[in-house]
Amino acid sequence: METQTQTITYTASLDVLEPIRELLTQTGQEVGLNKKQTYGLCLAVDEIATNVIRHGYDEAGITDGKFDLIIEKNENQLAVTIVDEGRPFNPLEHNLPTEEDLSMPLEERPIGGLGVMMARQSVDEFNYEFSENHNKNIFIVKFSNEIKE
Amino acid sequence: MSFTISSEISNKVAILTLGGSLDSSSASDFQSEIQKVAGESPSEMVLQVSELTFMASAGLRMIVFAKQKLGPSVQIYLVKPQDQIIDTLQMTGFIHSVHIVDKYPV
Repeated sequence: METQTQTITYTASLDVLEPIRELLTQTGQEVGLNKKQTYGLCLAVDEIATNVIRHGYDEAGITDGKFDLIIEKNENQLAVTIVDEGRPFNPLEHNLPTEEDLSMPLEERPIGGLGVMMARQSVDEFNYEFSENHNKNIFIVKFSNEIKE
Repeated sequence: MSFTISSEISNKVAILTLGGSLDSSSASDFQSEIQKVAGESPSEMVLQVSELTFMASAGLRMIVFAKQKLGPSVQIYLVKPQDQIIDTLQMTGFIHSVHIVDKYPV
């Protein structure tokens, strides 16, 4: 099977999170991901898309922002890439909560970095590239790792 | 599925029923409901979440907000969370700070 690619452009608004999850759920079912894999992909993309919309565009004062969602599937894996022109941000350089942070009482713990941590842990591979003034957040789910439920 | 929430106070226990998807777009509805019940100074907070199908980190932030708003002594119960939401609570350590139960009263 050759790589099949689909690109959809979204406006940078939190309203698009739900349609994106619906599309990824449908795609996950089509390629035979299990429920845990599909949910993990939705969660990871949701967290990073939220950061792109909130921090990459809104807080940077960029209105009318847009981003692309590229879905690529082949016989081995499903890859989803968010491509945006917002403020550069590399989630891989972001400080993740430490074990100590995660074991603190809720009312005392620092809350930053949770979304990025969840995104990175919910897919098989997470990558980030910055090229030609675009952030590219890449999420990969491998079919060979499929856990039968 | 879009997010739904309702709340009631019964014998000083705040019971919030959540359904659908809790993401950064719908978290403000959850926050308003927490603020509403906080005014009644409940002694416990129960989240009925069996119909909650998705929860992003924005939902976790609201659980922290509830803990801060209601006070650290107010226990938070999650009734029948779906497997994927339990995974998130585990991954983030939240599982140690809330009570996961099959029914309430326990």
